[in-house]
Amino acid sequence: VTDERLMEMAPLYALGALDGDELAEFGRSLDGSPGLQTEVAAFEAVIGRLAYLHVTAPSSPRLRSRTLGAAGFFAPPAPVPAVRRDAPGRTSWLAWAAVLAAVAFGALFAWERARLGEARQEAADLRQERDTLAAEITEARLQLAAVQEQLGREVAFRELVAHRESRQTLLAGLAPAPAAVARVVWNPGTREAVLLAAGLDPAPQGKVYEAWVIAGGAPVPAGTFQVDASGKAVLRLPAVDETRSVKTFAVTIEPAGGTPAPTGPMVLAGAV
Amino acid sequence: MGLAPSDHVMNDSQAHALLRRLAAGDQKALGEFYDLFASLANGLALRILRDTADAEDVVQEAFVQVWRQAGRYDPRRGSPQAWLCTIARTRALDRLRRRVSRREDATDTPPATADAPQTEEALTVRKALDGLSTDQRRALELAYYEGLTQTEIARELGEPLGTIKTRIRTAMIRLREALGSEAS
Repeated sequence: VTDERLMEMAPLYALGALDGDELAEFGRSLDGSPGLQTEVAAFEAVIGRLAYLHVTAPSSPRLRSRTLGAAGFFAPPAPVPAVRRDAPGRTSWLAWAAVLAAVAFGALFAWERARLGEARQEAADLRQERDTLAAEITEARLQLAAVQEQLGREVAFRELVAHRESRQTLLAGLAPAPAAVARVVWNPGTREAVLLAAGLDPAPQGKVYEAWVIAGGAPVPAGTFQVDASGKAVLRLPAVDETRSVKTFAVTIEPAGGTPAPTGPMVLAGAV
Repeated sequence: MGLAPSDHVMNDSQAHALLRRLAAGDQKALGEFYDLFASLANGLALRILRDTADAEDVVQEAFVQVWRQAGRYDPRRGSPQAWLCTIARTRALDRLRRRVSRREDATDTPPATADAPQTEEALTVRKALDGLSTDQRRALELAYYEGLTQTEIARELGEPLGTIKTRIRTAMIRLREALGSEAS
């Protein structure tokens, strides 16, 4: 029989208004009392429906995408087996006693062993769940790091473009890549430079595109890149001193890994 | 005034079907569940937090929790959307308490209650709420929207604790009776 006083606390508990010793007492009693659980659930159902009183506020497509993306970080949980509810027995006490008497010590021993097995299985399941969660956290951290890195690059590029000393040089496609076009946004003061290219075919097998900064002397290698499926590429050039007095930016096709001096055909070039 | 067939009954059966798919790991069902009930959860979170960005965080957290715990959904606690709103309310109140402890204020103005929805479900709940006394409604609102406990409400209203307990209990029982079997 559920304590009447506890039943009176159920609506306050469901609403989250219970506090102090009463909350502690109710919490202790709840686990072992199906009657109390049913009462709390019924009041929670009422509270859930109160949300219909409000102005519904349409959520943005961005929030939808963000929410579904966040859910995608987590593997769906394994379905929880339904709790078995035994129907109230009609068997008399004597009949139960007879059944119990029939259950010999061996059966009891087997039951204990089964419980031990269940406990071990549960521990194994919990360990597996812990490992899964740890893997999910690691994956989420890696994705977060990648997003932060991408964000950092975008912020740096925006700052470069917005800087009052930054300049822009257009590179035209040459004979090997007449449809190609590129531009370099660069800052002679900070030596920062970013190359944005488009209209390039994928580099031949075993080759890469290599950028060059040409000031007065020999061309200075400024990084290699491949293009994406749409023929585009973005390359952050290293901060070399030659950027301060650059005369020409160029791109050539070179062996994979790049070379210290240009050896292959020039596909893009632009004079400052 | 005639009302269209109960939209919430249709939503209920649709929501139960979606929740079964969610529990089976069907991520597409989450998008459909979101499309049906995101505005409901967002409206509630916005009413509690009065801040668009915070409310959006709560909506995201609530749907992710539904996704992760769909297999543990207990129908005794109401429809799937009521369960979603219970989760959203809990998370919104947690956020509200953290904000209070940091003494931050909301940045947005609250939505106008005059624009409350006129669906059959909303009218049913509104009618049930109208059956409460002003004192009962006030105590209930402080707990529901502000997350205040019985002791805090008694202090806020300058009433004895016993009076507040009785007031809230009576209000909840009346609502449960007024909403009848639909609440379960």
